[in-house]
Amino acid sequence: MCLSELQENQKGLIQKINGDSRFVSRVVSMGLPPSSPFLVLQNDGRSPVLVYSHDTMIAINRKECMQIDVEMA
Amino acid sequence: MRTIALLGQPNSGKSTLFNALTGSHQHVGNWPGKTVERAEGFFTQGEELYRVVDLPGSYGLTANSAEEVVTRTYIEHGYADIVCIIVDASQLERSLYMLADFAGVKSPVMLVLNMMDVAEQKGKKIDVEKIEKILNIPVLGFTASDLDGYPKFFETLNRALEKKAKISSDKIRDIVEREGEKSHVENLKKLEDLIAPLKFDNRERFWMASKLLENDSLVRSEVETAVTPEHWKQIKEILDAEGSDGGLLTGEAKYRFVSAVLRDASEGEEKSMKLSRFDKIATHRIWGKIVAFFILVITLAVSMMIAVPIIMGCFGLQGAAEPIVNKLLRSWPVLASFFNSVIIGGLAVTVAMMGFVFAILVTFGLMEDSGYLARSSYVFDSWLSKLGLHGKAFMPLVSGLACTGGAVCGTRVLDTRGQRLFAMVLLWSIPCGSKVAVVLFLASVFFGSAAPLFGLVYLAMIFASFWLSSKLFGNKLMPVNERVGMIMELPPYHKPHWKILFKTVARNVWAVFKKAIAVIWFVSLLFWLISYSKDGNVEHSVLYTIGNAIEPFTQIFGMRWQLFISYIGGIFSKEASLGVMSVVFSSTMDAFSLVARNEAGANLGEMMRAVVTIPEALAFIFASMFNIPCVLAMGTTYRETHSLKWMLAIAGYYFAISLGLAFIVYHIALWVL
Repeated sequence: MCLSELQENQKGLIQKINGDSRFVSRVVSMGLPPSSPFLVLQNDGRSPVLVYSHDTMIAINRKECMQIDVEMA
Repeated sequence: MRTIALLGQPNSGKSTLFNALTGSHQHVGNWPGKTVERAEGFFTQGEELYRVVDLPGSYGLTANSAEEVVTRTYIEHGYADIVCIIVDASQLERSLYMLADFAGVKSPVMLVLNMMDVAEQKGKKIDVEKIEKILNIPVLGFTASDLDGYPKFFETLNRALEKKAKISSDKIRDIVEREGEKSHVENLKKLEDLIAPLKFDNRERFWMASKLLENDSLVRSEVETAVTPEHWKQIKEILDAEGSDGGLLTGEAKYRFVSAVLRDASEGEEKSMKLSRFDKIATHRIWGKIVAFFILVITLAVSMMIAVPIIMGCFGLQGAAEPIVNKLLRSWPVLASFFNSVIIGGLAVTVAMMGFVFAILVTFGLMEDSGYLARSSYVFDSWLSKLGLHGKAFMPLVSGLACTGGAVCGTRVLDTRGQRLFAMVLLWSIPCGSKVAVVLFLASVFFGSAAPLFGLVYLAMIFASFWLSSKLFGNKLMPVNERVGMIMELPPYHKPHWKILFKTVARNVWAVFKKAIAVIWFVSLLFWLISYSKDGNVEHSVLYTIGNAIEPFTQIFGMRWQLFISYIGGIFSKEASLGVMSVVFSSTMDAFSLVARNEAGANLGEMMRAVVTIPEALAFIFASMFNIPCVLAMGTTYRETHSLKWMLAIAGYYFAISLGLAFIVYHIALWVL
């Protein structure tokens, strides 16, 4: 499943990031490398998703969320 | 002289440290041949002179954007005596990634854990000594905004310069080999073997191979030119097979390295794992926008409250000075006119407008310092991303309604120079209060009660201009292939640091003032020279001669010479265009006052209606909408772009579109009416 499919307050684990190297490097350096646990802080179905991982609150556009595979933790 | 390079992620407090270290001894320009800002400063400690280079902030060392290329090139060539990595102690796990990405570059390094105060508030306990022991490089727990902590910074700096400790990538390599997927690890090893014959200068082989695997453009092209075609073919095969997965392998390993460092050195339950009540509102799809608008209105109101008294005071003083100057220089009327119009007039305009610059820099500084700016960017990003801009551009763009020149300084909140330049281009389309007033005044003179319609048309034209600008400049300044949809951090809230904020703002206002006054005096002098006439009659001035000579040309745009000269006056300031009109439409008035006059004469409307036709009026109104905003906007744009070329390019662009628009409107009106 992709990142935006998780609901608010659900925990997840990053599995894979799909996209070009630029995208991967951006996501990784922002604090979401594979196998990081994260918590969905906000997902209202329309705005970018807010997650918390590696001490950091991160906002991710819904389109970009589709490129991030996760599993529920 | 020793050189210190500051390396850190955005929001790590790098600029606070840079400003506190160098104070007013700093120089901001551009990296040679790059559209990236270069900030450099100096300070002395004891006998020694230090140079501090503030490297453009980036989240890691992979060179994707122009900023990252600059940072990377500087780091890997080892230009600095010491690299000072600054990380946010309150977000240690994420921000230490920079250190992990750096490991393998053979430059002496020290680590500054900044914002220890915020970390403490968050309930984190960080054992600085333990981290130092594990990493074996000098480490300092620090709060850059607390000036009392600087002696300890210098102490650690000296220790680092003496020790020249480096950080190797061995531990990361161990993690990769132990935990990575076999096939990827094999590929990484193969890459290491294939590049083994190369010279790595300041970098370890593993670091080079990792960057290659991450598809880093700089290392890729370096390796491609250095190895034999046969070797490159083998390397490329591996890279193609890995695709973007290589970056995942090394990225994961770097975070594991960070976790291993912090395992015994940091403790404390995360308090802020939940969205705070304020954040729930600030990031809400609808409420968030309302809050942002509310804060913006307060910002603009505060700007006005600071700026208006300064403006009134300046023009009051200017008015008071005029008779004194006239009296003192009685026997030299030319000199008196020069002093009044150019020196005092220019000074008054510049100082007056600095009120706006000051107010915008303070309020934006507060929003950035406190962490709120990121929230407003979050709620507005979807609007601005259509133009290719980051959500952060919202606040500066809207504040353009108060003052274009001030808002141009406000674009500093944007991260890349391309974004800043593009925001400035857009800002010139956004009318400040005075411009709106002039346009509506003209509209009401000629079209009476239909004037509000012009407001609506104006709004539509602004959006059209945004569209045109994004077509013309968007891709050059913000290459589409460099844009990554919004993935941004929302930093924790901080208490603003008033002392440092005011110091920094004061320094910036002074720097802007110096540039602006130079531009304003120069332009005032030009205006004064061409409008001067011995007997005070405008028809005996160079301006009149030039105006008449080029009238056949300006007629193409529907502007008779009086209107064209007023249009040119509008470049000086919007109010000046009314002043110029008052002078040129009643040639009896004193031409000296061209530059200094800031208001319309009592019967200007009547005089204009008597002479100017409707198509001409339309042409002039539309030309005024997109005329160059004012000299102050030119001055601040010059200062903020650090490039005369860019300032002139933007000015040329608006000169062209405003005249082009006048041309179209005039000819359509001629045809229709």
